[in-house]
Amino acid sequence: MLRAAAGAAGLLLLALEPGLAQEVMAEAPPYGDFPLVGARGAVWIAAQVHLMFAAFVLGVPMFAVVVEAIGIFGGDDRYDKLAKEFTRLLVVAYSATAIWGAILVFVLATLYPRFWAYLTTIFAPSMWVYAGLFFLESFTLYLYYYGWDRWKKGFSKQVHLGLGVALNVWGTIVMFIANSWLTFMMSPPGDLAADTAPQTVRLWSAIANATWMPINIHRLIANVVFGGAVVGAYAAYRFLASRTDEERAHYDWMGYVGNFIAIGALIVLPFAGYWLGREIYEFNQQMGITMMGGFMSWLWIIQAFLIGVLFLTGNYYLWVGMGRIPGAERFMPYIKWMLLVLVIGTIVWATPHTMIANRQEIAAMGGTHHPFLGVLGVMSAKNTAVNLMILTTFLSFLLYRRANKQPVVSWAKAGTMMQGAAFVLSAGIVLFYGIYGYFVTAIVRIGFSVYQVLAVLVCIFFVIGLDVFMMRGATSRGAIRWGQMPARSQYALFILAVTFTWLMGLMGFARSGIRQHWHVFEVIRDTSPQAFTPALGPAATMISICVLIFFALVGFIFWLGGLAEKPAASPVGVSASSEMDLRAGAEPAHYVRPEE
Amino acid sequence: MLRTNLTILLIVIGTLAVYTGVANMIPQVASEVPEETTIGADVTPDELAAIGEELYVGAGGCTACHGLGTRAPDLVGVSGTTCATRREGVGCKEYLYESLTEPGVFVIDGFQPIMPDMRRILSEAQIWALVAFLQNQGGEITVTAADIPPEGAGGAAAAAGGTGGTGGATSPGIDTAVTDPVELLRASTCLACHQLGEEGVALGPSFDEMAGRQEAEYIRRSILLPNADTAGGFEAVAGTMPMNFGDQLSAAQLEAIVRFLAGDR
Repeated sequence: MLRAAAGAAGLLLLALEPGLAQEVMAEAPPYGDFPLVGARGAVWIAAQVHLMFAAFVLGVPMFAVVVEAIGIFGGDDRYDKLAKEFTRLLVVAYSATAIWGAILVFVLATLYPRFWAYLTTIFAPSMWVYAGLFFLESFTLYLYYYGWDRWKKGFSKQVHLGLGVALNVWGTIVMFIANSWLTFMMSPPGDLAADTAPQTVRLWSAIANATWMPINIHRLIANVVFGGAVVGAYAAYRFLASRTDEERAHYDWMGYVGNFIAIGALIVLPFAGYWLGREIYEFNQQMGITMMGGFMSWLWIIQAFLIGVLFLTGNYYLWVGMGRIPGAERFMPYIKWMLLVLVIGTIVWATPHTMIANRQEIAAMGGTHHPFLGVLGVMSAKNTAVNLMILTTFLSFLLYRRANKQPVVSWAKAGTMMQGAAFVLSAGIVLFYGIYGYFVTAIVRIGFSVYQVLAVLVCIFFVIGLDVFMMRGATSRGAIRWGQMPARSQYALFILAVTFTWLMGLMGFARSGIRQHWHVFEVIRDTSPQAFTPALGPAATMISICVLIFFALVGFIFWLGGLAEKPAASPVGVSASSEMDLRAGAEPAHYVRPEE
Repeated sequence: MLRTNLTILLIVIGTLAVYTGVANMIPQVASEVPEETTIGADVTPDELAAIGEELYVGAGGCTACHGLGTRAPDLVGVSGTTCATRREGVGCKEYLYESLTEPGVFVIDGFQPIMPDMRRILSEAQIWALVAFLQNQGGEITVTAADIPPEGAGGAAAAAGGTGGTGGATSPGIDTAVTDPVELLRASTCLACHQLGEEGVALGPSFDEMAGRQEAEYIRRSILLPNADTAGGFEAVAGTMPMNFGDQLSAAQLEAIVRFLAGDR
């Protein structure tokens, strides 16, 4: 792994000497060729697979260190073991990240030499810092993982936790630096022209471009979502391969935690997406319109379909999981209604509206919009649908969390009624602004989405806050029977992981594709034979190839990891309660044998 | 375990197949690279209009807004009939050319000033072809080959190709002899969005209220980097101010405007 990291970094450094870059710019042919998939296909695959591994190794440390902290401050050793298992996956996935990073540098330098030289001339110093931090991150990870059992007690454990925090800090800076390169291509500084000599471009103005910070935040959250989903799939595989009840219970719990992290962070992700979209529009209206209403308009229908699958599958996993929780039976009648809301929400969200239509199509529809679907396809309907889906998913989590709990506080009934009222009020506000949006101008309507989002967020925080107090000292209706999950629930975790990964590829295509035939938007034109931006079909095929490569490698890597260390199953029969329970206050993990 | 592995493999491939299949079933729209248009001296009006139509539905990206009814005016079938009367004293051909190259000068009531300067995307010849196409929508084509400047006279597409490293358009400058700030504000089309006395449109902050309230530094930054700050109450039009004034004005002209707006009148 070290060799791979050193190789990648070495190549980076070699390619970045500005003087050399200038010579390359002057003499190198603009483009190289690659067999079978062409130059762009090669870069696409290398960048996408690298990004998938990078997202995993950046996302997992974020929740690994939180889980470790819960173990330390909650005094519960199970969380410590879980955090270590998360980190073990990191160690094996890290080398793949470095290898694909090196491949990406190779293909860029050999297939796009002139543009690569242009980029390196501008960003050389930041690339040096990147390489240095990459080493720092690698060694911090080794210390963090291999020092786990050595620095286990007292102050040394806290130092170990500090290593985990440092690992996240290095990783985040590395990601921010890499993001500056790609966002520069998307939204270069306004004073940059085609004839601007790259050595005269100020580094900070190139880094701090219009979409840099929105992409940073969006990716930070998306990495957590992605990491949680892949960890969930890993746990599902181990669950299905388990030979003992203890192992099955452990991986059932791990899968639940992975799903909780993925879906929990997914709920926040659209808000970061709104910000990014807004910044794209502010940077260049035409780019924003190309993205949302131009040749990419169908992409958002596919995205809505995928997110619908995520919500439905995530909720399905929870609903199946309620089968192993004593007391959950009382909530089962509500499931069909929640399913109905999710299905209707998905249908509305996936309704096309602003599409590029030719004159014949417009004539056939009787206007630029479909007479019926056009009403559902507008943002008012879509925002209403997605906010109600988020509320419903949150309700699923709440019911799951409360399934086997019996509150003992005197105000429990009033508290539950207040929570119910919060849901009704929030849904009412979302619906009100959804309907009102049809009667106002577009610019006013856009502002309504903020009120809808706020109504949902306030409801989530209010209900959770109240629930934490209400469930203090709550008695149990029975221990969760971890491990007693049907296999189909675990397959749902695989669908989640594949869907998240595919969605990531799709969003990557959207972000990169809106530059259209420009390497650097409206500054450096792509004159290669593959300068056109493909339609969604060929793009989807490419994304699927990347996802297949990623999961094939992940499967192999995790299998290797499994050879190296036997998983540490947590003790069976533990029923201690923890106030700092990771599962947002759900009854703590009770590893109960099936016969219990 | 073999059965479990096969089931997982089937689920992964099946899920990917569904997504790939759905994406391949929907209408396929690619974004093609704008082709360099070679227009000879003997080009006929109809040929120009045909080239313009291709650009309108393709490389120009016009259909992203026009024809959808909400973002920008419908043009197909009507633009040739309305172009001569949109602006008093401005002929059809001149109006359409101005709309494509200086879209901020005149914005039709009820629409936002979101139209980009097409010189950043298309060559001069292509822009004239678009004008011919738009005139042909219910009107008479008056564009001729004589309107089209010789090849290499400028424009993004003219500069494209071969180098892999160039392509952006350079914004046309304002006559450097002009130093009067009010004249500069007019020439730079600032009054298309800002009010100055009786002149201009109140889309952005009024120049009259700016004097003595904003520091020169702030005004300078707002001209060169319009997205750096957004004046309170104008969030809805944030991001619409062109970012090419730094290219259009000389340093002396910029400073003349800054001093004027900061209150040194």
